[in-house]
Amino acid sequence: MAAAQRVSVLAGGAAIALLGGAALTVPVAPRLPAAPDSPLGAAARGEREVPSLGLTWGRLRGWERTGAGWTLVWQPVHGAWLIRAWVPDGGDDVRWRLEAAPWLPGVRLGREAARAMAPAAPSPPIARDRVGRRDWVVGGERLLGALDGGGPLPRAAPAAAPAAVGLVAIQALLGGLLLAGAAARRLVPGVASRAWRRGVAAASLALTAAVPLLGVLAPHVFEPGVRPWVAELAFGTGIVMILGALAFAAQRFPAMGGAPAAGWLAAAGAGGVLAGRIDPVAALAALAGSPLCLPVCVAAAVLAGWLAGLAGDGLGQLVRAPAVLRFVVLGVIGVGATLAAGPWLGFVVAVVAAAAVGRGGATAMATAVLWGWEVGVTRELCRWERGQLDAAALLLLGCVALGAAFLWRRRTGDPAAQGAA
Amino acid sequence: MSRRSYLIQILLALVLLAAALALVRGHGVGGESDAVAGARNALHRIGYEALGGTPQASFETDQEMAWALERARPGPSGVALARGEGGAVRWRVAMPGGGEALVTTGGVVWSARRPVPSAPGRDLFPSQARAEVEAALGVAVGDPQRWTLARVASWREAGHIWQRGWFVGGNGPLPPGWRRELELEMVGSSVVAWRRSVLPLGTDLGVVTGRIAELQLLRRPAMVGLAILVVGVLVAGAEATTYRETIRPARGVAYGLATAGVGVLAGEAALGAATLGVAVAAVIALMPTWTELPPERWRWGAAGGVLLAAVAIGGRLAILGAGGWTPVTPPAAGSLGPGRLLADSWYPALAEEPLLRGALPALAAPVVGWLGAAMLAAPVGALLHPLPAVPLLASLGLEALLQLGLALVAHRAGVGGAVIARGVCESLVRRGAFPLGADWDAAAIAGVVLGSVMLLWPPRSE
Repeated sequence: MAAAQRVSVLAGGAAIALLGGAALTVPVAPRLPAAPDSPLGAAARGEREVPSLGLTWGRLRGWERTGAGWTLVWQPVHGAWLIRAWVPDGGDDVRWRLEAAPWLPGVRLGREAARAMAPAAPSPPIARDRVGRRDWVVGGERLLGALDGGGPLPRAAPAAAPAAVGLVAIQALLGGLLLAGAAARRLVPGVASRAWRRGVAAASLALTAAVPLLGVLAPHVFEPGVRPWVAELAFGTGIVMILGALAFAAQRFPAMGGAPAAGWLAAAGAGGVLAGRIDPVAALAALAGSPLCLPVCVAAAVLAGWLAGLAGDGLGQLVRAPAVLRFVVLGVIGVGATLAAGPWLGFVVAVVAAAAVGRGGATAMATAVLWGWEVGVTRELCRWERGQLDAAALLLLGCVALGAAFLWRRRTGDPAAQGAA
Repeated sequence: MSRRSYLIQILLALVLLAAALALVRGHGVGGESDAVAGARNALHRIGYEALGGTPQASFETDQEMAWALERARPGPSGVALARGEGGAVRWRVAMPGGGEALVTTGGVVWSARRPVPSAPGRDLFPSQARAEVEAALGVAVGDPQRWTLARVASWREAGHIWQRGWFVGGNGPLPPGWRRELELEMVGSSVVAWRRSVLPLGTDLGVVTGRIAELQLLRRPAMVGLAILVVGVLVAGAEATTYRETIRPARGVAYGLATAGVGVLAGEAALGAATLGVAVAAVIALMPTWTELPPERWRWGAAGGVLLAAVAIGGRLAILGAGGWTPVTPPAAGSLGPGRLLADSWYPALAEEPLLRGALPALAAPVVGWLGAAMLAAPVGALLHPLPAVPLLASLGLEALLQLGLALVAHRAGVGGAVIARGVCESLVRRGAFPLGADWDAAAIAGVVLGSVMLLWPPRSE
């Protein structure tokens, strides 16, 4: 390598490092509060602080981030009842709620729970067996066996009216761009990339294999009266169907061969990191609590990158114009998205980036943005040790992938074009 | 076609008709005429003579209760309970001049209500009421000695004193843990109404309602699958239009309208039926562009349907025989004519088969081959309509078996053949949920008759 080239590589590397460092450290005001504790840590606290209720809690079935705390769900194998608890981040009281199927006599609350629910009663609870249910009489009150217990739990605040309309519009727009991209790839075919085809198929397969452990991310599918394995089966089947459809679509509408320069990819990754830090998504924080966080994040970035590349292809075809005008239009869309896209910010930035570089590098650019976005969200939201380690590992893997792409491109010219079918 | 082949087809048509008749004859809910007589008798016992004219009888089922009883007492005794002392399957008989009674299909009078008499007799004061109400129980049940009066309430209305008594009858012939109750109403000293009810054991009812809730949850991924399929059809439609491929929009529109119409007749919400109508219209219009689909041989569809119906009925018997449980009293719609049986049976055939056996295999065939794609449709179809069984996997497995059977029918007879097979199968299996009668039998075997005519129709090439 000539000295001038070495200097240029070093300068480029330094610029990239600066860019990445800035994206990771520039102060931002994130939309969601960071989680200091992992969901498993919160579950341990919930099990410690919520009264046992005299019922079997069963296994921890799922969790989700709600406001400044974790909502956790426990359900026994028979599914007759479930316990939800909201564990706040600070030292506030844990809130809990018991939901029971209305038909089983076995759902009578424990004596301890009956006492806890009517603490002012002068006499101890007296058991009353009735047909179809078992009650407690506490003082002058009667606690029905099938009655839900506990108090209301906080829910994620819905978006205000203008923002909600904006989100619906963004989703509709993205759906339309996906259809436009699919039509564009059929009507204006290019050279499909075998590497991306295989990559997307492998990502779908990896996510499918991980589905049995991903049920924890959908606590709302668990219902009283429905056995947890059935709820997990319903969730898993739906996800597998969607993954199958995506894998199939990736074969029908494959990514094109070609890749942008490593510098562009690094810039895209840095943009993704910033987007993730500005508008983090709670679902990704929930994923960071699962043991499969790292492989699932990598596979999801590849799959979502292909999807965003497809939408970017659609956008690129719709704004076919001279280069200057094209960049102005895409810039306006990018700025608008930053203001209005909310949780879709990362995906919208990926679509715009994919449209900006043209068909050849669209998927790589979108993947870089979404990879960076995952790093940004995990770093910003998941403040527990394991979450931060996952963010660092994901960043390191991204750097390794970027370095590999750079070296491969230097050796062969255009890696994706080499692998084109 | 040789004469020998044609003779074989004639024989096959006869066998089909005979098999279909064997599957439907005598299967159905009876007791309508007995119910009318029982209702007259019950009203007579409370001092009301129904006027002449034909009473209007409509059919009702309390699905969860029937299934809970069948689960609590597996086998014929559970079915008999659901249709008798359990009061879950019954006729509502409305007399032309007023008065109404509920009579179970097993002949147990479940309730009776007469018009308020103009001269109801002397008013009973609360001190006398208890004994009089207790004595009146004999007009309602055959075993009054097993019932206990739990409570009496009195009130004054329209110039008379009214009494209402609540009786508790233990479990009687019902399974342990169940309880019978009866409410009896008097005005003055005349009984004007009484009604029985059953309180189930929580566990028995709970297992059934739990399974129903689970199946409703499992339908969601199937709906996701159908939605994905509709998106695929949309993209394929755009592609076909752009490349100016041969499509059949008129045929699609006609099929879509027919599907939506049958859906509305089957009691579906108009919006849902219309949405599915649009989706299948697109599928049918695009069908000529999907050259991977097997050729249409509609004549074999009915044969497949009869075979699948036999498998479905046999499968349920096998689950019961193996110690599991599956409902014997199937879901039924009430107070409707044979047209409802036709609509209920043919709507899923018209709406789902083009999607599951047409669009899905056509879209996925380039990647996984036609048979592989047809296999993909089986889990989607299996999650759409299974009955609540114990174990649940037995029901899902049986439904998946039927879906695989339909895939094989589609392989042999095309999408049209699969539609006919599904319609025939559903008609024969659902027949048992509706009242006995030749018109109901005719509706159930209409598809088989149509299939037999197709089988005997000479091929166009001859």
